[in-house]
Amino acid sequence: MQPAIEVQNLHKSFGELKAVDGASFNVPQGEIYSLLGPNGAGKTTTISMLSTLLRPDSGDALVMGHSIRKDPMGVKSVLGVVPQDIALYEDLSARENLTFWGKMYGLRGAALKQRVDEVLEIIGLTDRQKGRVSKFSGGMKRRVNIGVALLHKPKVIYMDEPTVGIDPQSRRSILDSVIALKNAGMTVLYTTHYMEEAQELSDQITIMDHGKLIASGTHDELVKIVGQMDRIRLTINAEGARVVTAWKSTPGVKQVTAEDGTLNLLVDDSNQVLPRLFDAATTSGVRITSVDIQLPNLEAVFLHLTGRALRD
Amino acid sequence: MNHILDIALNDLVQIVRDRKVFLFLLIMPICFTLLFGYAFGGFSSGGDSDPRLPVAVLDEDDGRFSQELFALLKGSEVIRIETDLEKSRFDYEKALSDGDLAGIVTIPAGYSQAMLDGQPIPLDLWADQASTTGTTVQNEVLMAAKRLASAVWTAQITSQAAGKTADFDALVSEALLAWQEPPIRIEATSGVVAEEEPSQSVMSMAHTAPGMILQFAIASLLTAAQVIVSERKSRCLQRLLTTATQRVHILMGHFLSIFAMLFTQFMLLIVFGQFILKVDYLRLPGATLLVAVASVLCIAAMGLLIGVLAKSEEQAVMFSLIPMFVLSGLGGAWVPLEFTGAAFQTIGHASPIAWAMDGFKNIIVRGLGLESIWLPVAALVGYAVVFFGLAAWRFRSE
Repeated sequence: MQPAIEVQNLHKSFGELKAVDGASFNVPQGEIYSLLGPNGAGKTTTISMLSTLLRPDSGDALVMGHSIRKDPMGVKSVLGVVPQDIALYEDLSARENLTFWGKMYGLRGAALKQRVDEVLEIIGLTDRQKGRVSKFSGGMKRRVNIGVALLHKPKVIYMDEPTVGIDPQSRRSILDSVIALKNAGMTVLYTTHYMEEAQELSDQITIMDHGKLIASGTHDELVKIVGQMDRIRLTINAEGARVVTAWKSTPGVKQVTAEDGTLNLLVDDSNQVLPRLFDAATTSGVRITSVDIQLPNLEAVFLHLTGRALRD
Repeated sequence: MNHILDIALNDLVQIVRDRKVFLFLLIMPICFTLLFGYAFGGFSSGGDSDPRLPVAVLDEDDGRFSQELFALLKGSEVIRIETDLEKSRFDYEKALSDGDLAGIVTIPAGYSQAMLDGQPIPLDLWADQASTTGTTVQNEVLMAAKRLASAVWTAQITSQAAGKTADFDALVSEALLAWQEPPIRIEATSGVVAEEEPSQSVMSMAHTAPGMILQFAIASLLTAAQVIVSERKSRCLQRLLTTATQRVHILMGHFLSIFAMLFTQFMLLIVFGQFILKVDYLRLPGATLLVAVASVLCIAAMGLLIGVLAKSEEQAVMFSLIPMFVLSGLGGAWVPLEFTGAAFQTIGHASPIAWAMDGFKNIIVRGLGLESIWLPVAALVGYAVVFFGLAAWRFRSE
């Protein structure tokens, strides 16, 4: 089956900054595909190019067979976009917003009214449909923001960090709706810097950093990059440099990075390595004030590949 | 086409829900029209019911011919006789110095007898001869006095020729009547200026009212520009660009809403001017409509351009204030360009407001016909095309 999205060597620069540097990936139809990376990694620029808002410097992408360069209107006709920022008319009600956007997607008359009713049901705002968006909570606005993209039943939907800045309950609701979209047969391209979201939702994940795609695969495939290594986060009461050298030479330690008073270590087996780390710290005259052990996950993969934590 | 209407309606719904907009679109223009009209001499004494110049006549002769002169002046289409038996000469002189009277005419004692003796004595006329009003009063009074003297002289000649059988009074009346239907009448007409001049207050409003309409239409540029700036700020514009709506349709939708908003403002203020301020917009309703449409097309396109250029609300305010002050001032919306020199009038016509003012004034002040508005309308439409073209070109990179 033809991929829903085929990205071919996309490049985009803003002056000296290479925002996207040779991105290539395929998104199979009916899957949730996540772009995972910190702020500034190039995720939104990629989405902007794929939704024809930005013209790439070079490269191309096909969305359901429509080229973003040669057939932008064809791309838009099969696409629903949930932007990172809430894009709604605050002085209009939820229903008025959905009705207006439905018209912009080509819906009219009874079909429009019926679809607006369905979407209000999907986003759980039937009871509040006449309320002005300006009076809504952040989570409710996010739900309307998503609802707009569903109006014309697009084959492909882009969701650019849709859970930023909302309460846990609304976040849970949005994640459930993303899974529901997949179950309804839609292809979802999802960007996030929350490892847990990518892990929970995605069939496939691509990790981005500084405009480059640095790893792609399923969650399990990506985790294998760091093997069975555990991740240990330590805080100490002194300069990290006094103990880093000692810990790097400790058996079982694969990588040590220091950031803002926190030391991140990738180790073979935390149970065996931890006593040695305490011994080395004592020898160096350093006191360990906290310890956090994490099993292999995408955070560890990102740390392994970039030397930095994902949340930074 | 549907998308254009949908976008325009969406804008208008949001504009209507903002009550502050009404203040700027309607209430303030009406207040300023009244204020500026007053400042430029509107609402002068006498009101609008009788536009003739008020003149006091003091009859110290109280003879037959002084009463004839009084009757002649009373029938004048230019001056209106103010008679108040309670008022003294001092009261009239004070009224003249206050500007409540245009002149005082004193008919001296012995006027009638001197007329009969063939040695008419001059009238005593007080009026500001440095002003148009004063000279108008002087001309009208002297003309009446000359008519009376001619009638008396004619009656005397006829009486002498006819002998004792002739009725001298009837001959005088007949001679005066002849002035009303002279055998030869010279009428001067002009294709430029209407002969019949309306009252001072109506004239000042005729200058002020269109100026204020244009001034506040220009002031509404801010509201117009904010339509696009707010949409960009709320990220809705970017979202619109991800739908299958063509860019030119988005632009035209916003243009249509701005046009509708400004045109409504124009129409309301024209109706206000016509029926409340007595500015005769409806003398040529089709021409007034054409000038209004062309003006709104131009200003709406300017608002669209500012909205596309401004990247923030602060920029929108700044970009709107510049044309608001420069184009309005330069174009004669505040002070009529007729009050300025030829060079300033030429420079002023770089502003589309000057062309709009020309269009309106040709209809309501100069009394010209439909043919007089084609040039102003063409200039305004030309400006509109340029502004819209620039906005469309800039919007391509949105």
